[in-house]
Formats: sequence, C-alpha cells, structure tokens
Amino acid sequence: MTDRQWIRDALDRYEGPLLLYARRLTGDAERARDVVQDTFLKLCHQRRAAVQPRLAEWLYTVCRNAAIDVRRKERVMKVVHSEEQAAAGAEANPESAAAGKEQRRRLLVLLSHLPDKQQEVLRLKFQGGLSYKEISRVTGESVGNVGMLLHVGLKGLRARLQDREIEGQVMS
Amino acid sequence: MNERNFDANDPRLSAYLMDELAADEREQIERLLREDPNARDFVEELKRTADLLEAEFGAEGEPGLSGSRRAAVERRIGGARRGRLFAVASAALVLLAGGATLFFLGRGPFSRAPAGIEGRVTLMAHYEAERADLVSASRVLQSSAASEEHITYRDTEQYAHTEENPWKSTGQEPLSTFAIDVDTASYSNMRRFLREGRLPPASAVRIEEFINYFRYDDPAPESASGDDPFRLTTEVASAPWAPRHRLLWIGIQAREIEWNARRPSNLVFLLDVSGSMNAPDKLPLLQRSLRLLVEQLDPRDRVAIVVYAGASGLVLPSTSCEQSAEVLAALDRLSAGGSTNGGAGIDLAYRLARENFIDEGLNRVILATDGDFNVGVTDQGSLVRLIEKQRESGVFLSVLGFGTGNLKDATMELLADKGNGNFAYIDSLAEARKVLVSELGGTLIPVAKDVKIQVEFNPTRVQAWRLIGYENRQLAHQDFNDDSKDAGEIGAGHSVTALYELVPPDVPFESAGTDALRYQQDGRPSDQAFTDELLFLKLRYKQPDGDTSRLISTPVRDQGRLWHEASDNLRFSAAVAAYAMLLKESPHLNDFGYEQVIQLAYEARGQDPGGYRAEFLRLVRLAKRIAAGETIEELRELGYIGK
Repeated sequence: MTDRQWIRDALDRYEGPLLLYARRLTGDAERARDVVQDTFLKLCHQRRAAVQPRLAEWLYTVCRNAAIDVRRKERVMKVVHSEEQAAAGAEANPESAAAGKEQRRRLLVLLSHLPDKQQEVLRLKFQGGLSYKEISRVTGESVGNVGMLLHVGLKGLRARLQDREIEGQVMS
Repeated sequence: MNERNFDANDPRLSAYLMDELAADEREQIERLLREDPNARDFVEELKRTADLLEAEFGAEGEPGLSGSRRAAVERRIGGARRGRLFAVASAALVLLAGGATLFFLGRGPFSRAPAGIEGRVTLMAHYEAERADLVSASRVLQSSAASEEHITYRDTEQYAHTEENPWKSTGQEPLSTFAIDVDTASYSNMRRFLREGRLPPASAVRIEEFINYFRYDDPAPESASGDDPFRLTTEVASAPWAPRHRLLWIGIQAREIEWNARRPSNLVFLLDVSGSMNAPDKLPLLQRSLRLLVEQLDPRDRVAIVVYAGASGLVLPSTSCEQSAEVLAALDRLSAGGSTNGGAGIDLAYRLARENFIDEGLNRVILATDGDFNVGVTDQGSLVRLIEKQRESGVFLSVLGFGTGNLKDATMELLADKGNGNFAYIDSLAEARKVLVSELGGTLIPVAKDVKIQVEFNPTRVQAWRLIGYENRQLAHQDFNDDSKDAGEIGAGHSVTALYELVPPDVPFESAGTDALRYQQDGRPSDQAFTDELLFLKLRYKQPDGDTSRLISTPVRDQGRLWHEASDNLRFSAAVAAYAMLLKESPHLNDFGYEQVIQLAYEARGQDPGGYRAEFLRLVRLAKRIAAGETIEELRELGYIGK
C-alpha cells in the first residue's frame, strides 16, 4: 500500500456512512457534504501511524464535531422533520427494489421516532460498526450509557416493529 | 412459573449480542439464556431487530460526495505539499476573477462548479484561503435562495445546550450546591411546542422549571423558625423509575402575602416593540397581558412605560395608578416597528425605576420581549454586566417571553438570573392570567433573595447521588457561604422544589464516572456518619433588601417510605420530572415512559386548584401521540390541538 492509498481506502469505505451520519446531525444533505469533505481533507494532514489504528473513531469524532459546529454556526435547531428525513433517506436509493423500499421506509420512520441519542448510537453501531468504547469516545457518553442507550433503542425499535406487525394483521 | 423473571432492561442483553461482554458476564448471560426460554425469545427478537437495522442502514443508499468534492479530496491525497504551492498561485487567480468566483459561491461551489479549470481553481483556493468567511458568505446566498423552496423548521430560536447532571459518587463528591430558581418559562414553552404538533428540542427543557410550574401546597413544617419567610420540607421515598433508588424531595414554600396587604409598587414596563414583535402572539398578547396586570394595581402603585426598537423611548412617564385609564390608553397605543436596541432601553428603564424609587416598596422593571437584542448592546457579556450593575440599585427584574420562531430563551433566562428576577414565558392569555393575576404576588413581591442550597450526603448511607435539573444553577461549593455571590430569588407564595435521586450503599451500582481513588477510600467517615442521617441540608437566604444571609440547616433521615406511602407532592413532582426527562431523552429512566407518567400524575393529582395538573395530564397525552408519530392534522382531527 502506498503512503496515500490508506486515505483512499478510508474514503471508499467511510464516505457513504459518514455522509448519512452527518446528514442526520446537520439535517441537510449539502451541509453534510461540506462536513464530510472537510473531514477527509483534515485526514490528509494526519500522520498515518497516529490515526490509522483508530480510524473509524477518528473520522466519526471529527465529522461529529464539524457537524455540530455547522449547526451551531447556523443556529439551526432541528432542520428537517424526521419523517421527511426518513423519506429522503429512502428516496436516495432509487435503484432499490420497489417492494423492499416500502418496508425499509417504514423501518426508517420507526427509527426516526426514537430519541436522538438512541438513534445516533444505533447508527454508529450498525452503520459505522463502532464498538461501545469507540462510540463512547465519539459521543462523550460513558461506555455504560452507550450500552444503555443502545439497548433501550433496540428494545424500543423491536416494540414498535411488533406494534406495526400487529396493526398490519388487524388491517388485513 | 419457576423461571426467574429476567430483566428486559438489562443492557447486557444487547451487549451480549454485540460481543461486548467480559467472559464472566458472557457466561452469566449464556446461562440465563439456557435456563429461561422467555429471555431466549427476547434476545432473539433483539437480534432480529438488530439484523433488520443493519440491513436497513446498508440499503439506505450510500450517497457519495459529488464529483468535484471527491476530486478535491483526491487532489489533496495526491500530495499535500504540492497543493499548498499551487494554492498560492490560484488565490491570486481568484482575486482577478472575482466576479466569477462569487458566482460559484452563490451556486454552491462544491457541488455545482463546472469541471473546467476555473472551477477547480476556485475550489482549491477556497480551501486554502480563509475558508470560514467564504463559507458563511456562500451560506447566506444559498439559504436565501433555498428559503422559498422548502419551509422546514429553520427558525432562529436559541437554547443553551445543557447535559443532565451526572451521577456523583458520595465518596468522591459528597457536596451539592446550587441556587434556587423560580422560573417557569420552559414549561409554558413546551406547551406551545406541543400545540404546534412537535416535541420541544431537548435543550429547551429545563427540568426544574417544569417541576416549579406547579404549587405544592400544605407542606408540614420540619424546619422553620417564625421569622423565616418560607417553610423547608423534605421527604424521601423510592424512585418510581428505579425502585431500588431513593428519591429525595426538598420543598420550599414561601409565605403568602395578601395582594392588598402588599407594599406600594414602582413598576417600569420595558417593552420590545421591534418589528419581530409584530405577530398576533406577540405585541397584541403582550398588551392584553399587561392590561391584566394594570387592572390589579391601585392608587398606591406607579407605572412607567419605556419601549425599545430602532430608538428607545419613553411612552409614559411614571404615573400613579389613580390614573389607570391613562396607563391603559398608553398600552393600547403601542405598535410594532423598527429593530431592537435592548441595551439603551434597559438603561432608560432602570433610570426611571431609580428616580421613582419607593423605599421598602416593590421596585421592579418588567421586560417583555421575544428576546431579540440585536442593536446596541448585543453581546451577552455586556448585557449581563449592565444588568448586574443595575441589580445593586435594589430594583428587581421580571422577564416575560413572548412569541415563537425567534425566542432567545438563553438570553432571557440569563438576564432574569443575573438581574434578581424571574422568567416566565407567556404563550397564551391563560398563562398571562396565571403569572400576572393569580400568582402576581410571586411574580412581583420578593420575600427572599440569593437563596442557595447545599446538601452534604452521608457516605455510609448514600453511595451515589444525582440532582435532577438545576443544571445551569450550579454554584461552587465555597460560594455557599460567600454573601457576595448572587443566587436565586423567591416571591410570595412561590413553591420551589428540588429532587435528588440517591443510590443506597447496598444496591449494585456501576458508576459511569471516574475511577476509584487510589489513595483514599471514601474519605474517612466522621462519627456523625454512623448515625441514621442520610444527609445534611443547608439553606442560605437574604431578606429582599438585606446584605447578610441567614443559615437554616437540618439533618434529613430516611423513614423508608415506599412509593405508595409518599405524599402527593412528592409523587406528582416525580411524574413531572420524569416527563421532562423523557423530553430530554434522559438515559436514567429505564423503561419508564409516557404511560407511566400519566398513571403517576393521575394518582397524585390531588385537589388541583386552578386545574394545572389536569392540564399537565392532557399535555403528556398529547406529547405521547406526537412522539408516536401522529401528525398535526391527525391530532387536530382527534381534538388534541385546536384548529
């Protein structure tokens, strides 16, 4: 691997997940692109030996801080209503099979009803693939809290999923 | 059933799935799963949910950086050193091509710049030059173009971000010190959000203001001498959201003063009539609200009116309420226009208050605004210094917040805190009636100032503790005895309540905070620690016109009360606290949700004079529906929100 190839690999691997993460934090696709571009530009200035062993954590932390800065600077409280955001997330993938799309959209909508902190932890875990400890360092929550947020979030999502399934049976 | 009931709240069940457990804990969970089919089913469902979610995220469609952005990163990867030299040259190019650059900025330079050489040059320079300015310039252009297309919640309301108070280990930190707070604005602001069909942002929720919105009447005096202007009450019972934890209730009930027995007042209304106030829920509501107040006044009282907008000005010199018709007419004549100069208005209002000062009277500036101080003294630091200077003159301050979309919650709260005052948010005429008629004594008549509380926990009785709310009212421990340090004011008839969640020593508790100390273990307990005292409660206050504080102190013991033995006061305030924590997305609630809050509040609602507790129940039901994703149209249809 050449000296710079690792950054290219990082770009390939994390570009998409980071954009989705940043979009959730900033509520805006365009600002998310700014933030993620910035994150990778900053990565170019890092020493490989210092960053690579904890690459995901580094990327998510820098991305999160930048997104929060943007949000603060613009004094945007909550930009996009979560339903719209969920819908936008589903639409961003036009090539997905039409049948799966509806179900997916529903799961995203259910997710968007969870408290923000739970959503963030779930995303960092299942999209970013971060460990509890990494999530803890990215978000500043204690490891115990991360475990709690993730568990409560997963449990809540499961309950909502069941509710929907029951409703579905009643309807049909 | 023979199986142990497994605990669905145990976060280790998820941690097990994520392979995050240490070997011994993993064994425990595996044993549980072997022995308890219910636990097995539960974990399998968690697994299914996790798998779905992972698939879901994977299929969310990976957006990419657009071509030009990706190219910018690629170029940087290609060689950071060369890039810098290149940038110096390109920056000069951009200066020459100023018009074109601006065009790119306006259109969003990163995504839509053409692939031609100019586009690239602009991009590179953009990063190498002072980036922030350009970005903000482009933002202005972008947002003005975008604003017509989508109307989302892009308002400019401002809330200071606060994290909930964390758990503290008694061994390491036995002291808790804070200033009391009688503000209620956060609660009425929450009500306004719900009526708009959305939940308030977590940072707009101040738990103590929710709790203190309600009166907690009839506390049995435990520690009060005849001279104190309030009664201090404590109670301990189990915590509804964590039954093995204890909930400590500290209640301060200020003496009622008959409105007719009050001292004469010298009021100055400082009213924001800037353009931003020109909305039905602002200036007209403000006028009607203050009308209610003026109608409570009589010939003993004086009112002056100062407005501020582009220029601040005197609308009505200090006038006796013998001529209340004159005061009312001046109120009716107000109209909105111009931008805001809060600073100059504050100066003028305080000058009038000093000139008409009534010794031993109620001297107060009442500031009514949506919080926009955007001309004149604008930065928060100078505003605060201005207010702090005026506070020494003995003039108190009340801040009434109005309106939506532009509310500067943090600024207004800070002003009220620093200016010996209180902060209420008026979302409706009903709230105006509460603040300015039925609880006018609390709003206008101070009975004590600089009220501070310090609690020392007994490490042999309390393992860890957490103060619920009052996050931005924390004081340094040494300031408790320092009479020069400002704290909270309390008005006639006010109730102030503080709740602590405590962990008894025999309950397993994993502190999320710092490691155990290496050189000390729980300090060394004094003899007093081996009594049944749970904690030692100290309170300091000053008379409204006094300079030296008086100390009240009392040990508190735990009578071992169970939840159903607790008073309505404790239970209702716990329900309100839990509701606020839900809105704050608190991790401390375990499975305690809206339904439990409703149940609790319903059981503990008591007499409910004024119907505020019944309204609370309606609001929680509404919040629950909003949280479940019902739209404002559905909520209107069901009659939860007025049309």
